[in-house]
Amino acid sequence: MTREELQQCHGRAMAAAARLRLPLRSRVWRGQAGEFTGGGTGSSMDFQDHRAYSPGDDPRHINWQAYARTGSYTMKLYREEVRPVVDVILDASDSMFFDPLKAARVAELFYFLAESSLAAGASLALHAARGDASLTLDPAALRSHQWLEAARGLKAKDPTLPPELSRLPLRPNAIRVFLSDLLFNGEPDSILRHLGQRHGTLILMAPFLASEARPEWSGNYEFIDAEAGTRHAHRIEPAILRRYQEAYVNHFTLWKTSAFRHQTAFARIPAEEELVSALFREALPVKALEPTT
Amino acid sequence: MLTLANPLGLLALLGIPAVLAIHFLQRKAVQLPVSTLFLLERTQRDAATGRKFDRIISSVPLWMQLIAVLLLTWFLSEPRYQKAASVQRIALVMDSSASMSVFKKAALDRLSDELPKLQNSAASVEYTVLEATAGRPRLYSGTSLAELKARLENWHPSEGLTDPTQALRLARSLVSRDGSVIYVTDTPVASLPFDAKQIAVGESIPNVGFTGVTFSHEEGALVWRALVRNYSSQEQDRTWSIQTANGGSEPRPLHLAAGALVTLQAVFPDDAKNVRVVLSDDRFALDNILPLVKPLPKPLSLFSVTSPAYSELAEKLVASLDGITLSDDASSADLSIIAYDPLDPVLPGGHAIVFVEDSTSAGSYLKGGILAEAHPLLDGLNWQSLLVRETIQLERASTDKVLLWQETRPLIFLREKGGKQQLCFNFDLRLSNAASQPAFIVLLHRFAESIRDKKIAPVSANLETSQPISLALAPGLPVITAATDPAGNALPPEAFPAQQSAISTPGFLTISQNNIPLLTAAVHFADTREADFSACAESDSVPATAAASIERNTIPDPLWQVWLLLLLAALLVSWRFTTQKASSSTTERIVS
Repeated sequence: MTREELQQCHGRAMAAAARLRLPLRSRVWRGQAGEFTGGGTGSSMDFQDHRAYSPGDDPRHINWQAYARTGSYTMKLYREEVRPVVDVILDASDSMFFDPLKAARVAELFYFLAESSLAAGASLALHAARGDASLTLDPAALRSHQWLEAARGLKAKDPTLPPELSRLPLRPNAIRVFLSDLLFNGEPDSILRHLGQRHGTLILMAPFLASEARPEWSGNYEFIDAEAGTRHAHRIEPAILRRYQEAYVNHFTLWKTSAFRHQTAFARIPAEEELVSALFREALPVKALEPTT
Repeated sequence: MLTLANPLGLLALLGIPAVLAIHFLQRKAVQLPVSTLFLLERTQRDAATGRKFDRIISSVPLWMQLIAVLLLTWFLSEPRYQKAASVQRIALVMDSSASMSVFKKAALDRLSDELPKLQNSAASVEYTVLEATAGRPRLYSGTSLAELKARLENWHPSEGLTDPTQALRLARSLVSRDGSVIYVTDTPVASLPFDAKQIAVGESIPNVGFTGVTFSHEEGALVWRALVRNYSSQEQDRTWSIQTANGGSEPRPLHLAAGALVTLQAVFPDDAKNVRVVLSDDRFALDNILPLVKPLPKPLSLFSVTSPAYSELAEKLVASLDGITLSDDASSADLSIIAYDPLDPVLPGGHAIVFVEDSTSAGSYLKGGILAEAHPLLDGLNWQSLLVRETIQLERASTDKVLLWQETRPLIFLREKGGKQQLCFNFDLRLSNAASQPAFIVLLHRFAESIRDKKIAPVSANLETSQPISLALAPGLPVITAATDPAGNALPPEAFPAQQSAISTPGFLTISQNNIPLLTAAVHFADTREADFSACAESDSVPATAAASIERNTIPDPLWQVWLLLLLAALLVSWRFTTQKASSSTTERIVS
């Protein structure tokens, strides 16, 4: 993709980010001070509880009215305001970028996830993984549009393998968004389990093409594997095409079932539709996103 | 019933595999990057043991092209429907020559194959089977092929070389212009008249056989001499033996070079019946056997004592003719030599040769051209060198038929009186050079033999098969014919004297009247034209006849316009879908 195309994708992502964002408000956060309600007590305006004073407490939070009534020091506890943590993991395999439409949709989603997180004041970390290779991207590369080049530069020993996520420095208590088409052979459970470790909240964003779900193949084809570049001669007949579609549905049904089991929001985003409408139609119902207002 | 006028049109069905192959070839592999190959390969692993025919993809152009091929095949094979009242008339003219006896079974087999093909195109068929020999009754006339074959099974060709023209003419008139005339022979003919086709079933086979027999008296014994010929171009080995009713001789080896003629001879065995010379068998059996009888001509008595002037002539005549004896009784003699005496001009009755005896003077030679009348006795004889002096003349009656003239003077005339014939020489033989004229000698012989032929008397002869027989019979008395094969077994009665010929197969023949055997004959086959198989071969011109008869007995497909429209429609639909597919494939996006 050219820089201009990335800029266009960034613009569409920014427009979407103005209306949608990750579900930051729907959970209790722990972490650095920020704009979102934390799990512990803090210095926000939201009253939480009372407790007896103990030495070392901040005297500014002594409830003097209660002291006047009871003669004992009582502390007012306020909910803390923390900064959400968002880890975006990009599946940088070739299957995400070999088709211009799909590549554009991947870029849009990546920009959207990053920009909406930044707009919410979240602590954002961007990761890219391809096979056994992984990389943590510099957030500054996002707006310089160099992230794609860095991600595509990953060299994997076997690009057909599922992305190796164990080496990623995932942060605790983070919302982890896995942006992948999930088109690889691998156990969904093991991947979801790993991404959900350390109190992580996982969201799956899976861009897809209609031609992947409902291809119109008929006759002889020399399929070129998008991952490995190898060529495979196949003759597609109606029966084979039907079985392929069944396998495709079964593959994502397995992911959906596994995601449900891991309480993971799973949204499949079509590449052909306009980004905002696609997100509203696919991601919002499954609570993978929430409106900004 | 449906008939294909052009069965070769079915070759168009080869277009079906061609169309299928083209469809496979046209659907060449499209290079397409995909991201879901692992799903596809998982699917195909599951279907590895699936049905093979799933590989043929059903598409509208494919089916339209297959339908077009079928319709095209229908057109090219020219389907025709049978006319309701169509009759195919087929006339077979069977070569009745003896050589066909060797190939009769092959001919029947070929007819069994060919005739049903000719029958296919017509609602019914009528067969007529004739022999090539003119005047023979029909062998078969009807509609049943089985009956036809049964009749031909009992048919035994035994004639000599026959000209089928008359039979073909008759056959053509029987089946009319639209029918089929087929000449079944063993020797192919370059061209046949009357639009006849032929089935030739012969082949060149080696044959050795008798070609004839002669008899002579040597040292008081009757000796027969038989000629044996090898007709083939290879050396042949046979054996031969003499067999009689009492037994036979040991077979003797006989080696014949290619095309050789060999003479066998032996003394005729006395007092033996059913004598025959037998060669070892080959495929043509008719000429392998030579029945023999001791030849005995009819006796002829000659009276010539009336005038000593012609005694010398009588002696020469007796010496040169077989079975002739001198007689002293003019009334009982069969033939008399009479000298005309003008003083006693009354001639006796009976068969006679009459000369003028003029001893008075020697006249001048007669002048003027010599003219011979057309008469069997004078046929082919040359009299131009005859010199005759003027003599007294015979008294000529108005019923006399002059045979030879010199100017206006009759030299020889034939007188018939009371059923008797007298050959009259109207000049003195001694005053002419007639005695040295070959024509004169031949004329006397012819006349003597004609008298002998008319005589009712027993005769023994060795005849050839189907040889015409001229046998004098007593009027009003029944004629009994008996024939046997060479071994003496009785043959079915031959039609006689209607045919006036010998039996058609080798054997013995006896013709009797009033319990007197007038003819005792041995009949052998000696037709060298039939025994020579070098020109025999196979040939078949019937398919052309079949094609023509199909057109005659059938009508074209009345719906051919409909099929043509359907063919065009199928091609248009196929073209339409093909172009649509091509245009859509150019805009097809690459599948991820």
